Amino acid sequence: MTRRSTLALVPALAIVLTGSVPLMAAPPDTQKSTAAKSKSSSEPQGAPQVSLATISVDGVNDIDPTKAFGSKNAAVVMEIFSDFQCPACKQLFTQTTQRVMDNYVNNNKVYLVHRDFPLPMHAYSREAASYSRAAAHIGRCEVVEQALFQNQEKWEVNGDVKGTVAAVLSAADMKKVQALVDSKALEPLIEKDKQIGQLVPVNQTPTAIIRTKDGQSYPVVGFVSFDVLKTLLDQLAK
Amino acid sequence: MMESAPFNSRRIVIWLGRLLLGGIFIYAGYSKVFLPNHFYWPLPMLKFSIAANLSNFGFQVDSYKLLSPSGVSFVAHSLPFAEILLGLLLLIGWRLPIWGAIVTLLLAGFVAAVTRAYLLHMNINCGCFAAPEPVSVKKILEDCFMLLLALLMTVFAFQETRRPHPWSAPEKSNA
Repeated sequence: MTRRSTLALVPALAIVLTGSVPLMAAPPDTQKSTAAKSKSSSEPQGAPQVSLATISVDGVNDIDPTKAFGSKNAAVVMEIFSDFQCPACKQLFTQTTQRVMDNYVNNNKVYLVHRDFPLPMHAYSREAASYSRAAAHIGRCEVVEQALFQNQEKWEVNGDVKGTVAAVLSAADMKKVQALVDSKALEPLIEKDKQIGQLVPVNQTPTAIIRTKDGQSYPVVGFVSFDVLKTLLDQLAK
Repeated sequence: MMESAPFNSRRIVIWLGRLLLGGIFIYAGYSKVFLPNHFYWPLPMLKFSIAANLSNFGFQVDSYKLLSPSGVSFVAHSLPFAEILLGLLLLIGWRLPIWGAIVTLLLAGFVAAVTRAYLLHMNINCGCFAAPEPVSVKKILEDCFMLLLALLMTVFAFQETRRPHPWSAPEKSNA
């Protein structure tokens, strides 16, 4: 090899080394995030960073903390499996769950977990679950769930789930929610809820599983009025 | 003239109606009171369970959008027990024409409500039993079949009362 050709190889070697050193020096996590970043480059822009981490409370596993309300030390854990397009779920949400929130969840007596269980027979319930989950991850769960349930009769006819959600969010929030929905980043959490429901098994929506700290569990199937549910909760949350 | 056998076609329809409709009515009432939530013990849990099931049934009644809230509550808390009672009365066979007529009217009401819901494209469950069953043509046909059976049973039961079969008629005194 001539001296001139050796000299020509030096810059090429320098370029290769400059590129590979940071990669070799970086810890495995950084490498992973670099890979993730390159993967997310194809995802819609503006999607906020979200965590898919779940928690366990009193033996109830895989709880998405953004869809759970109240104190983790509450005497009762109540999981509600519901479908946004199911009329009985709407009735339960508007007539019972909201009063449970006011009277038991806000008083730290009940820890309420909302599980998504979109039924295949409903055309838009999965989409509604996606929007609701995305809204939960930007801290706007309650307002979006309320809007979806209260306008159920409208969007189940025209399919305008997006418009229903957009009507109650600011433009900036809606942009974030839309980016999350488009990225499908939260779909695994919905799938997880469905799998848990199938294990219960949930045969109809809504189904609420009420659990106490001493391991008792009471599945409550279908719509139940607040006054009736109150008798059970009062007894269990003593 | 030769008598026909006591178990003629008229009686077969009556027996079939009593057994089939009686069984269906008892199960329909039972499932509304004791299912899908079935905690039987301790007593407060049984009370909760029954109240939850009736509340659930009340929602089904309300979904037909036919009654006021007090009407819904009345129907939800009385119909399941009425169904059990009527079912038992049909099986016993006591005063069959009267109870048969009431069952027929009740079934006619069910057919009308379910057909109306279907024609209005109401996306609801029929609320016939505890398990959710969407309103469909199949459901309407099932109800129509039961209505026809109840109607025939009642008409034949009236005929039996007016013109009882010689073999089952009360014996005349030979004075």
